[in-house]
Amino acid sequence: MSVNLLGSIVINGLAMGMVYAMIAMGLIMLIKAVGILNFAQGDLLMFGTFLVSFLIVDLEIPMGAALPLVMVLWGLLGAGFMMITYWPLRNASYPVAPVVATMGASLVLSEGVFLIWGTWPRTMPSLFQTADGRPATVNLFGAEIQVQFFAVIILGALLMFLVWILTEKLYVGKMMKAAAQDKYAARLIGIPHLLTTMVTYILVTELICSAGYMVAPIFAVTKSLSSLQLKAFAGTVIGGFGSIKGAVIGCLIVGLVEAFAQVNLSVYKEAVVFLVLMVFLIFRPGGLIRSKIQDKA
Amino acid sequence: MKKKQVIEKRKIICGLAVVLLVAAVGMIPNVYSLRVISLALIYSISAFGLLLMLGMGGQMVFSAVAFMGIGAYTTANLCSGRLGFYLNGTWAILISIVLGGLMAFLFGLPLLRLKGTFFTFATIGIVQIFYTFFLNYVPLFGGPAGISGIRTLSILGFSLDSYVKWFYFLAVVAILVMLILNRARNTQFGRRLAAIRDNEIAANVLGVNVYWTRVKAFTISGMLGGLSGSLLAMMAKYIAADNFSWTRASTFVIMAMLGGVNSAPGIVLGSIIITVLPEVMRGLDRYLMFLYGIMVILLMILMPMGLSGLVSGLAKRWRRKRQARRER
Repeated sequence: MSVNLLGSIVINGLAMGMVYAMIAMGLIMLIKAVGILNFAQGDLLMFGTFLVSFLIVDLEIPMGAALPLVMVLWGLLGAGFMMITYWPLRNASYPVAPVVATMGASLVLSEGVFLIWGTWPRTMPSLFQTADGRPATVNLFGAEIQVQFFAVIILGALLMFLVWILTEKLYVGKMMKAAAQDKYAARLIGIPHLLTTMVTYILVTELICSAGYMVAPIFAVTKSLSSLQLKAFAGTVIGGFGSIKGAVIGCLIVGLVEAFAQVNLSVYKEAVVFLVLMVFLIFRPGGLIRSKIQDKA
Repeated sequence: MKKKQVIEKRKIICGLAVVLLVAAVGMIPNVYSLRVISLALIYSISAFGLLLMLGMGGQMVFSAVAFMGIGAYTTANLCSGRLGFYLNGTWAILISIVLGGLMAFLFGLPLLRLKGTFFTFATIGIVQIFYTFFLNYVPLFGGPAGISGIRTLSILGFSLDSYVKWFYFLAVVAILVMLILNRARNTQFGRRLAAIRDNEIAANVLGVNVYWTRVKAFTISGMLGGLSGSLLAMMAKYIAADNFSWTRASTFVIMAMLGGVNSAPGIVLGSIIITVLPEVMRGLDRYLMFLYGIMVILLMILMPMGLSGLVSGLAKRWRRKRQARRER
């Protein structure tokens, strides 16, 4: 394998891995904070991406004004999602009920996109374009690689770092953690359950929607964006459930494996990713980084 | 003594009601609706695997669809002349069941050492791996075109060549599976499963081999998947990978949740509703799946234990009220 091909595969893999990592981080935040496996993760991402595409391409709002607006809309999306799929079900006697509700929500979101914006794939202008509208590229070891890939890697890492600081180091994050570990005790010392949960949901939505926004110029904006979540699941499990660090590493592995499989095994790449997952599950069932808190679900 | 008699009487009444219901549904003159209901019965057989794992064992799984695919493609290969011969349908069913069970056993052996959510994710992996192979590997699975021209089932020279006959046959099979499962609930195996569901550590302490019990349950659910896949292949005469995708896998979970995961009749009802509803509401066309999603959320909010949970809850309330009246 030539060096330039290798280079482009690695960059491609890392970029996709970063996108999966952002989805996975959101997933773990939800599991930790409210104990819910969210099967609508990919569909939230897709909905958010369609929203951006609608604002920028259809309404032609300039980028500078559109981004803050979109952040607000994403936040509303997350809050709405929580009010519908989690809040009424928080005291459900059956722990699987809220999980199934997110499956329903996944249908609602993906069909909602279909109803509002139709089935046609949409485009998303990249922030990095040459003058004639083609994606800008960099020359790396003789291979032309889109700047967008680098942007995904760097911006993704930055965003995840910010969220990590917020949830692990700041006071707000400690409040969220406390509410997650013991709802009752947290309420006793005056931490509002509704507020912390909502903040978590909003943060998660912002995170995964920006992942969608960044990956959209590479793919088109289509319904198939929602299938990204399955690979994020795989990465999460490889990394060890409940550990954000592990999930990021796991997702990067998934991205790389997928990029290599795409070149060598084309149509079977999905199977390869999940076979790798199986191998990890068999030989290292706790994941790369074992969490200190036992799995409760 | 008297109580036992009451139970016996209730059993007879229930049996009669079921027979009457099946006969009445079989009278529906519209062949298409019979086909849809038959399809729902086939799905419910697969969903029974979920009853075993989720309802009785407390372990969320998605893999029913994958084993259903194994069964369906096995039968499709054996009964469509692709391999140069036609095997009798009865044998094809048996082989499908064995292969479905074997696959579940082989995957379950290493993976069931995992706990809870980890295993759930592993089953998602199983679904994805099988789906990719079904969709792309032409020699065994026909690739994107699928496999067509599958011969219908004939038992002892009696060919199931119309949907009416299929419906009656499937009703009998579904009821048999249901009875076996209900019986299994009170066996050592069923009680062990329930013990694991309710408290794994306590079950372990009491001498239940958690790992083997779960492997057994998973294998049986794989066999049920193989059975229903085989029946699906022979009834539809055509099999394609779309039937076994991740979307379908989550539909199965929704079916089971709608009916109530721990009740076999509930699961049949759930799969009939989920399969028939889209056909009835064809007029809604584009809004159908959207409304369906909303329905699922509402369902979870309003009755998380499913229809059977609702019914048993109402029955309990009614009984209490009656008792209160009597005491007065």
